[in-house]
Parts: sequence; C-alpha cells; structure tokens
Amino acid sequence: MNICGYYPESINEGEGLRAALFISGCRHHCKGCFSPATWNFHYGEPFTPEREQEIIRDIAGNPLLSGVSILGGDPFFSAAEVSAFLDRLREAAGAISAWIYSGYTFEELTRDAKSPEYGLLSRCQVLVDGRYVDELRDPSLLYRGSSNQRLIDIPASLAQHGIVEWRPTFSF
Amino acid sequence: MAMMNPVYTSRQDMLDEVITLGEEIVASSNLEVLRENANLNGESFSGKMSKFGSEYAKWYANHFVMPKPLVQAIQDNIVYVHDLDQYAIGTTNCIFIPFDKLLREGFNTGNGSVRPPNSIMTAMALVAIIFQSQQNAQYGGVSANKLDHDLAPYVTKSFVKYFRKGLDYFEEGDSAADYGLITMARSDLQVQYPRAFKYAVKETESETLQAAESLIHNLNTMSSRAGGQIPFTSINYGTCTSIEGQLVISSLLAATMRGLGSGETPIFPIQIFKCKQGVNQQPGEPNYELFLKAAECSAKRLYPNFANLDAPLNLMYYDPANPDTEFATMGCRTRVLSDRFGRNHLSGKGNLSFNTLNLVKLGLEHGIALGLRQTADEQGFYRELEHYMDIALDGLLHRFRIQSSQKAKASDFMMREGVWEGGEHLNPEDTVGELLKHGSLSIGFIGLAECMKAMYGKHHGEDTDVYRKAYNLIAFMRDYCDRQSERHNLNITLFATPAEGLSGKFTKRDRADYGEIPGVVDREYYTNSFHIPVYYHISAAKKIELEAPFHGLCNAGAISYIELNGNARSNPAAFLRIIQYALSQQVSYFSINHPIDRCSGCGYEGIIGASCPSCNASEQDVHIRRLRRVTGYLTGDFQTRFNAAKQAEVRDRLKHST
Ligand code: SF4
Repeated sequence: MNICGYYPESINEGEGLRAALFISGCRHHCKGCFSPATWNFHYGEPFTPEREQEIIRDIAGNPLLSGVSILGGDPFFSAAEVSAFLDRLREAAGAISAWIYSGYTFEELTRDAKSPEYGLLSRCQVLVDGRYVDELRDPSLLYRGSSNQRLIDIPASLAQHGIVEWRPTFSF
Repeated sequence: MAMMNPVYTSRQDMLDEVITLGEEIVASSNLEVLRENANLNGESFSGKMSKFGSEYAKWYANHFVMPKPLVQAIQDNIVYVHDLDQYAIGTTNCIFIPFDKLLREGFNTGNGSVRPPNSIMTAMALVAIIFQSQQNAQYGGVSANKLDHDLAPYVTKSFVKYFRKGLDYFEEGDSAADYGLITMARSDLQVQYPRAFKYAVKETESETLQAAESLIHNLNTMSSRAGGQIPFTSINYGTCTSIEGQLVISSLLAATMRGLGSGETPIFPIQIFKCKQGVNQQPGEPNYELFLKAAECSAKRLYPNFANLDAPLNLMYYDPANPDTEFATMGCRTRVLSDRFGRNHLSGKGNLSFNTLNLVKLGLEHGIALGLRQTADEQGFYRELEHYMDIALDGLLHRFRIQSSQKAKASDFMMREGVWEGGEHLNPEDTVGELLKHGSLSIGFIGLAECMKAMYGKHHGEDTDVYRKAYNLIAFMRDYCDRQSERHNLNITLFATPAEGLSGKFTKRDRADYGEIPGVVDREYYTNSFHIPVYYHISAAKKIELEAPFHGLCNAGAISYIELNGNARSNPAAFLRIIQYALSQQVSYFSINHPIDRCSGCGYEGIIGASCPSCNASEQDVHIRRLRRVTGYLTGDFQTRFNAAKQAEVRDRLKHST
C-alpha cells in the first residue's frame, strides 16, 4: 500500500484537529475529481513499517488531536491494510476516533458483513460517503465536496440498520 | 543651544540627510519609510505631513538629544529605540483607561465638557470619544481593560428607563414609584410587572446591540492621528457576570461578527477575551456561553484574542472583588499589571517606552555561524549582552527623565481628567514625573531563534540543549531587569517585542554586513521575540509547550500564535481545543491566526485561492482582500499595506494544517 499524503494536524477533514492520512489508489474515477493523480495505486510513497511507526508515534504523542482522518484515493480499495493500521494505531494510542472518506456509499459498504470493507467501516466513527458529483459541488459544505455526499455516524447507523447522520458537537 | 551628537561629524552630511528625507517623502520614493507602520497611509497628504514631522523629529533626537552610546548602539544595529520620533518631546507609550471613573464623573475633552451618560447608547459613544481624546496625548495603544464591568451600569440605566416607560405604557404600575434598585436580575419585578419587564428587556437588548455596533463602526472610521491613522484601540472583557455585563459582552461579539458596513471584518478595536477558571472556562460557569461565542467570533474575525487570568504571573495579582486587578493587555501584547509602588491594578497607567535588542547580531558575533570558531563564545556573548542592556536601559532612563519633566498641560486630557491616575490633582504647570513612575520601562528583544542558530547551529525548537540555553538567556535578561528595578526603584520589565517596523530593519543591515547566512540571515525578517520560527515544521501542541515558559519570564508582555490553514469557522471543536490547551500550558496571551479572504465580487469570506470558490471570479478580475494579522493588529490588506519584511513573513508562515 502507498500513501500520497500525511498531515500531522488538519482542521479540514473532520471535527477537531485531526491527523490526515491519504491512501493511494481509487477506481471510481469521478468526473472533476480533486486529484486524479491519486487514482494510481503506486502514487506517493510506500507505507513501510517504519513510516507507519513514525505516524503512529506522531499521533499518539499529540495531545491536541481529536483523532485521525483517512482519505484517498479511496481507502476502501485497501481495506484490509488500513484496518490493520487502525488496529496497530489503537494498540499504541488508545481509543482514538477515526473518520473515513469513500467514493462508495454506506449502503454499498455494508452489503456484506464479512467483507474487508465492512471490517474497515466498523472500525471507524464517521463516514463521509459517496462519489464526488461535479454538478453538485458546493464549497460551503462542511468537510465534503458535493451535496450528495453524507456525514454518517457509523456506530449509530450500524446499530439501527439505517443511516444516522453525524452532528457536530459544537456549532458556531 | 542643543549640542550636536559627536557620533556624526560633518555638518554637510547632516544637511544632505535632511534634504534627502524631505525629497523621499514628497516623492513617495522610499516605500520602506512610507510603510514602516502598516496602519498609516504614508502616501496620503496627511500621511506625508506627518512623516515630515516624525522623520525630522527622529533626526533631531539622533543628532542632539540621545546619549552618545545609545546612538552608537543604534548605528551598530544592536539596539532599536521604538517611536524615536517621540523621544525628544517626552511623550509616553500606552495606557489603560479608567472608563468607569470617566463615565461616572463626566469629563472635558478640552473642546467641551461631557455629562455622565444616562444610557448604554450614549456611554458607548463616549467610549469612542475618550479613546480618541486620549490617543492624541501619547503614541502607542489605548486600551479598555474591563469594558464589560465599566459599561454594565449604563445598561442598567437604559433598562430602568424602559421599565418605567413600560409601566406607564402597559398600565401595570406607577412609573414614578420607588421600586428599590431596579436591575435586569430582579425576578420579583418580572413576576409582578411581566409586560413592562419584558418590554424593557427587549428594548435594552436592542439598544445595547446598536450601541456596540456604532462603537465598532466609530473605532474603525475615525482618524485621530495624522496620516489618517485610526486610534490603536484594544478592548478587554469576559469576566463580568451580571446580566447587564453579559449583555455588553454578547453585544460586542455579535456586532463584531456582523462586521462593518458590507460585512467585512473590523480592524479595530482589537478585542481580548479574558479567560478565568470558575468564570467562563467550563460548562456551567456563568460566562461559559460567552467564551464559546468569543471563540466563534475569533474563528470568523481573528478577534478576540485570549488572555489567561490563571497563568501564575497574572493570578498572583488577581483579586476577584476588583476587576481592575484582572490581567488585560494592549492588543500588541503590553502588560503593565504589577507596580513596585503598589498600584497593582491596570487602569490609570501604562508603558512609558521600550528599547529592543537585536539578539541575532550578538549571536553572530559570538557564535559559530560565521565559521570563525568551533564552539560558541558564551562568555563574550553574555558580556556584550549585558553591556548593550546597560545602554538600552540608560536610554530608557534618559528618556524617562525627559518624560518626567514634561508639564501636565502637555498631555492635557490625560492628566487633567485623571486618565493617568492622579493626574487630576496636578496643576497645568506641574511636572508629571511622580505619577509616571507607576508606568513601566521595558527592554525588548527580537530574533531569539536566529540568535540560537548563529550561536549553536540550531534554534530552540530543534534541540533540547539549545532550548535550555535559549531559556537561560531570556531568564538572564529578566533577572537583569529585576535587579535594575531594585537599583533604580522603577518598574523595569522584559518585553517580547512585536517588532512591526523593526522585523526587517535589523535583518537588512545585518545582511549587508555579514551576507546571507543560512538559517540566520537568509530571510527578510527576524523571528518575533522568542517565537519558534513560522517556517519551521512543528505541531501546534509542541509550539505551545515550547513557547509557554517564556511567557512567565516576559513580564512586560508576550503573545503566542498558532497558524491554522483552512476554514477555522467550520471547525469550532479544533479552535476551542487549541485555545484551552494553550491556557492550560500557562500561556499568558494567545491567539490563533488563520486566513480570511474576501471576494469583492460576491462578498464571500473564507479561504480564496486564485479564484473565488463561491462565484468563480478570478483574482485577475476581482479584488481579493486578504486579511492577515501583523504584530497583534490586523491590517486591511497585507499586500498593499505591509512592509516587505512582513509580507515575506506572512508568505513563510507554516500552517499547522494544510
Ligand atoms: S472517489 Fe474521490 S479520489 Fe476517487 S475519483 Fe472520486 S473524487 Fe477522486
């Protein structure tokens, strides 16, 4: 697996200050995609165990972080590896919150409870879902690009077998 | 007859200097001179007029007034005298205004006398007038250290008026009867006269909001100083827990969020929210909601900044019964809380003047950066540091003697009205020295980071050993100030210099002398005070942790910033967490910088790249106003009003998020 970006602190990819990790590779090929370069699974740098440890240490040692956000590409094309990363992260840093971005919808990701995609989804707290639709682009939306995309509270949605939208803790 | 300062020799050279000064101002040919101060429009007529005055005043001070070693140290590029144009005439720097007293007793601006106000609308209007009148008597900032407490009584006055009117109007009671002390907290009156009470609350709320709006408009539009400068106003608030005080705070915040005429971000007044555990820091505390609102406002408008009343150096003077003992600050960071003569409160005094040391040059002379030695010559460094602190201090003391010998009538409003505490007891011909001693004389410093690079090859964010050395260096300077305070029996304090006009001046000269030295003199500016360089990769938490201990040392004031990239207004959780983390680390004064761009085509505010995300207009076609903070004050558009060094610093700022 390759990663194509890591920001130790960001306010743009989820609530609070979050570490943002971008996983290379995407097969959705949305029209108007913000960075088609990331479609390539070999783009960026290899996610070596050393790099992974560095990032885990970084996140575990930052008292200001509210969690981690995983983006892409689309991390669900590398679901098993990303799940393993989250497990190792939590071993080192405790119960850290994870946001995850995908071109798949919640419904698509939950079709098969035994799939690696479902496994990854169930490890995260918030899903920003759906393909990017250029015609529905709206820069005023919180943490997402087009209005078809949703912010989904994963644990609540899985428990209720239906979509529960995520709500901000604070709103200005 | 004034004596010519022998540092200069030829009279012909002096004449040439004067002539060049005039020519440059007339032709607007020297942009650095014109933009030295980001808030002065140096290309306007009044700006030029004022430049003539100030440039000549500097020239005169240099040649005829200042002690020779000080002039030499300036020439050597090690010491900088701030507001040199004011040196010879003995003006003082800044002040915290006792608005409570001036409003309670009424005052005279010199052009007419003013009665105590009977409503919050009038009270806020008078606040603007007082700021403006005081600004003319000094050169630095004017500040309200507890505006919520100062204005609450006038909210009550408005409320009483409306309540009595309501009693008549709704025929609920006798408007002339004695109801005891009528306040917005009187729930018994609310039960007994529900309609009149409700009406009075509504009217009072709307009047207070209007008053706050007009105050903010006034403070952004009136010019008091020559050059079309707006008074450098700061207002502190956040701790008054009466309903009336809370209304003042929420109205100021609401008005600031609404913005000016077309919704743009107000530049003035700088606003500072005073944070105190037990008052406004946790859910359930009386002013917690206002703290949240302050964070919201700051995320939208860059203000308010946050003052930490719980930091040990501030807490030691805090008396919950006296809001005048709450730490507050001038927007640029000045701190004048303690006084060896017992006035350990804020209003009625201020800073008198400050001189700043260029630590980088001392570092270059004694460090390894020039390749002249293997290890830093620390002994030589400290010997010279002390030598130049002596010179800077002598300069402050010399200037203090000039300031002290001024007559009360020279700072008429300030003394006659007792804006400076006790001034009201002086006769116009009396000198002001006995009163000024309550103010502070400060030694500042700039470029700790580059100094460490020059000395040891690394700055204090890069290496723990160097960090310890950096801390010890600033502790040494503080210790020096404390010792000299005893010796001279004056308030001599250590200042983390904001250095607006200065940021590039030292650097330019050093570069001419030493060439470009990587990590030391390779940018257009030196790093502010003890800050970790803006271009250095470091987490927000780490930056806060490293800078916090320096706040305890800089008793004349310091500020720490975190740079955020991204739309801060859409992520309140991050914003709040960072603020409260900084407070928990004992940072005394804190703020978060984040970009605010405004599209003049559609009015969209947020982050704008080459084209507006809302209306798609390109930067080529519409003006994008880019608001940035410089040395604590905002400047309308950093590309047209900043000097070159500050523009470079803004470009280099590394965001704690991308
Ligand atoms: S899912 Fe995201 S990365 Fe993939 S093509 Fe669509 S916009 Fe681009």
